Amino acid sequence: MKTELNYQSYKKPVIDTPPATPEAKPTPKITIDGVVIPFQAGDTIMQAAERANAAAEIPRFCYHPGLPIAGTCRMCTVEVEKMPKLMTSCSTPAADGMIVHTQSPKVRKSRTGVMEFLLANHPLDCPVCDKAGECELQDYNFEYGPSTSRFVEEKRVWDDATTKKLSDKVTLNMNRCVHCERCVRFTDEVTKTNDLVMKNRGYKKELSATDEERGLWNDYQGCLTDFCPVGALTFNDFRFHKRVWFLDKKKSICDQCSKGCNIEVHSDQNVVERLMPVFNESVNGHWMCDEGRVSYHTAMNPLRIVSPLLKSKGASKDAALVSTTWEFLFQQLNVVIKSSKKILFIIGTDASCEEAEQVKNWSSKLAGSSVVYFNGVNGVQTSKDDGKLDHLLRMKDKTSNTRGVEALGIQPINPNQVSDADLVIYLRAGRAQLPIEFSSSAPWLLWGVWNLEEVKSVQQKLNVVGLIPGLMTMEKDGSYVNESQLKQTVTTTIQTTGHCLTVNKVIEGLWIK
Amino acid sequence: MSAINFPNENRIITKHLEKPDTHLIGHYESVDGYVAAKRVLNEMSGDGVVDEVKKSNLRGRGGAGFPTGMKWSFMPKDPKDAKGNPKPKYLVCNADEGEPGTFKDSLIMNRFPHMLIEGMIIAGHAIGSEVGYIYVRGEYVKEIISVEKAIDEARAKGYLGKDIFGIKGKNFDIFLYRGAGAYICGEETALLNSLEGKRGEPRLKPPFPAQVGAFGMPSCVNNVETFASVPFIIREGAAKFAAMGTEKAGGTRLFCVSGHVERPGVYELPINVNLLDLIEHCGGVRGGRALKAVIPGGASAPMLTASECNVAMDFDSLAKAGTMAGSGGVIVMDETVCIVEAASILLKFYEHESCGQCSQCREGSHWLARMFHRIENGGGTSADLDFISEICGNMAGQTICAFADAVTGPALSSIKKFRHEFEEHIRLGRCPHKHVLVAQQVEA
Repeated sequence: MKTELNYQSYKKPVIDTPPATPEAKPTPKITIDGVVIPFQAGDTIMQAAERANAAAEIPRFCYHPGLPIAGTCRMCTVEVEKMPKLMTSCSTPAADGMIVHTQSPKVRKSRTGVMEFLLANHPLDCPVCDKAGECELQDYNFEYGPSTSRFVEEKRVWDDATTKKLSDKVTLNMNRCVHCERCVRFTDEVTKTNDLVMKNRGYKKELSATDEERGLWNDYQGCLTDFCPVGALTFNDFRFHKRVWFLDKKKSICDQCSKGCNIEVHSDQNVVERLMPVFNESVNGHWMCDEGRVSYHTAMNPLRIVSPLLKSKGASKDAALVSTTWEFLFQQLNVVIKSSKKILFIIGTDASCEEAEQVKNWSSKLAGSSVVYFNGVNGVQTSKDDGKLDHLLRMKDKTSNTRGVEALGIQPINPNQVSDADLVIYLRAGRAQLPIEFSSSAPWLLWGVWNLEEVKSVQQKLNVVGLIPGLMTMEKDGSYVNESQLKQTVTTTIQTTGHCLTVNKVIEGLWIK
Repeated sequence: MSAINFPNENRIITKHLEKPDTHLIGHYESVDGYVAAKRVLNEMSGDGVVDEVKKSNLRGRGGAGFPTGMKWSFMPKDPKDAKGNPKPKYLVCNADEGEPGTFKDSLIMNRFPHMLIEGMIIAGHAIGSEVGYIYVRGEYVKEIISVEKAIDEARAKGYLGKDIFGIKGKNFDIFLYRGAGAYICGEETALLNSLEGKRGEPRLKPPFPAQVGAFGMPSCVNNVETFASVPFIIREGAAKFAAMGTEKAGGTRLFCVSGHVERPGVYELPINVNLLDLIEHCGGVRGGRALKAVIPGGASAPMLTASECNVAMDFDSLAKAGTMAGSGGVIVMDETVCIVEAASILLKFYEHESCGQCSQCREGSHWLARMFHRIENGGGTSADLDFISEICGNMAGQTICAFADAVTGPALSSIKKFRHEFEEHIRLGRCPHKHVLVAQQVEA
């Protein structure tokens, strides 16, 4: 299932081309390094090469498939037969029968020239740069660059912009900038916030927030640091936390709203270091929002409860929950569940489809019990309340699976059900909010991802009798249905710490006892 | 006396330069002003005007020397947007005279603003445009006042605005836009960006301005002097204009002679005047000194040595001589000039004025300026000269606009033609000319 692109795709060079004639024409073809590649009308050489996955050999700084074409870095030049000059492959429209050489001596010489110019004023201190290891300048220099610098003049240095905070999320080191202006075009054309500009001109050209006091204000600042080809823009949440070559990269989806952006979880030794977006044309394009980008902190929270908790029998309402073993928890819970006549299962809509189904099946085996779902973030009750927060990705519904839970036939919560129940079991994966506005004197069982502070605040209102630690989205297999009814399945990307168990195992444990 | 036999009455633009009130509409109309515009609007079709200008061999006076009639004929006839609605077309006058050594447009705007306005009315009719913009360099305060006053006068007379010259349904108005002082905004696409309120950075071509220009609409950009030549072509006939020049370039040209001549200034002369005659016409080299070098077409044009100066100043002859006619800014340097210092100053200008988009131009102009500065101050090494040529080779022809080529013009030509001076600087570890000057002063 395909949805409409909700980000502005690359701008094609605007040329008044005659409208396509209705009769089918043979597909135009372009020859790149001897390989014949069909392309679509309007493609540039770079886009044609990318479509055929032949573009790995065309280096680029200013070109980014999700951004308008600038054609300024001059790194992607290629030799086109019958054209006198080298052409920039990112901006030259492909033509039928064009023969392109991406690795001819002339091309390589030009790229070496560009590399020498870019490195002339660039600090040569890769070992202390946070981008080292995933730096395009570094990679291309291995391939094309001169091995030594002939630049003997004084280097251009921005003293005041060596580590300049553009916002609380992004830090700028202007000395490393290669002026590709991907970031400026991103804020101009993708977020449309225009919160980054280039000041001055020529060799003094300097990146700056449009309003220096306010800094950046768009909600996608992490993307700036993703596509910055050098270490000029770095994400404060990640910078100098980990050398990138240690990172283990696994694909997943973001569970922070109903968009379900495709992401890559970068972890080292089971510790998530950062999340990065992965291109998916029908979901998130190339981008993800900052809220989602830092969401791994929920899983990595040191206050997260990772062992079963139980309140001792007959303790008062305010008594503390104490850590226990799974065996003892299952034993105690079985007693409680069997003695309860009306059990209400509340499923937070950040649980996966599989989890919701397992809970539903379990509930059907318990007489008198019922299953409802609750979302409760941003005032969203059902998927009908969902909507876009901006023109890009962010959604009102801050949970990942409202539509998946609805598809199972589970109904939204009704306040009367809560007051009627004599046991409430609430399952969530760390994002859905507890329905604490409902008054309830029944004992509550919390299930899923919780941290200590949350539990403490819940305890002030409700009679929490126990806590069953569960798993985050990235710690388990599962499917999630996003806002455009697209079902996405993810696999485990990191192993959970502590004693957390999957929903299935908990149900099995309780059922067997 | 001058070797040039070109009577003042034959001048096209500056014919009445000696009169004091040439900037007023009263004077301009008394010397057949707005006659051509009236005739064009009443009698001629747009295509007719374009044909007439083509016949006149008028070539753009901004620097590139592109045939003006051909440029106008590139404008689409009935441009439509995606929904089929007609698109407006814009006429833009490039008055961002930034090329060092050029000051002819200033003269036209100060003294003959109505000639510019009339030329724009005719051009607007030729390409079917109803709006013209004059993009004036920000430093030209006097010129801006003069042109604005002239626009007001023309509006008051009904020559600009709605139903101009009393012709129903014929609209044309001119708006003046003040630039912010960037050399690169003389490049036509950078000018269009600046006119739209964006950063003055050249655009990728294609699309050319004739397809996507100002505000995304088809636009035609011409130089001030080009527009000012148009009324004469219509009034006196294309043949007369063409006869004044060479086969491929008609008319006269405003030469801005500066530097070491006795009488620097703007001179209107036939386009194919000999450079030595031109210098003679300006009173010869200052103080009877020997000629050393000439930059014939604004700072971007490669230098000519004294022995190369026996050359006609039209576009093709100068191109054959390895330089360019450019904007008509002739910078004369006598024997006291240190070429290394002159080149160093020029490169410092380019370092400052590169827009900074393309890698080669941004970093290369900076690099070259630093190297020339170092050599001038005695820090050069023998390897530097070949290295400079290599840097220039990596810059030229590889960028979006011609700025990088303009940087390499003075850099390469100065080294090629005056290599011994550079070697002298490197050998001595200082600038020999400065020493001589100080010695002369001491003797005096």
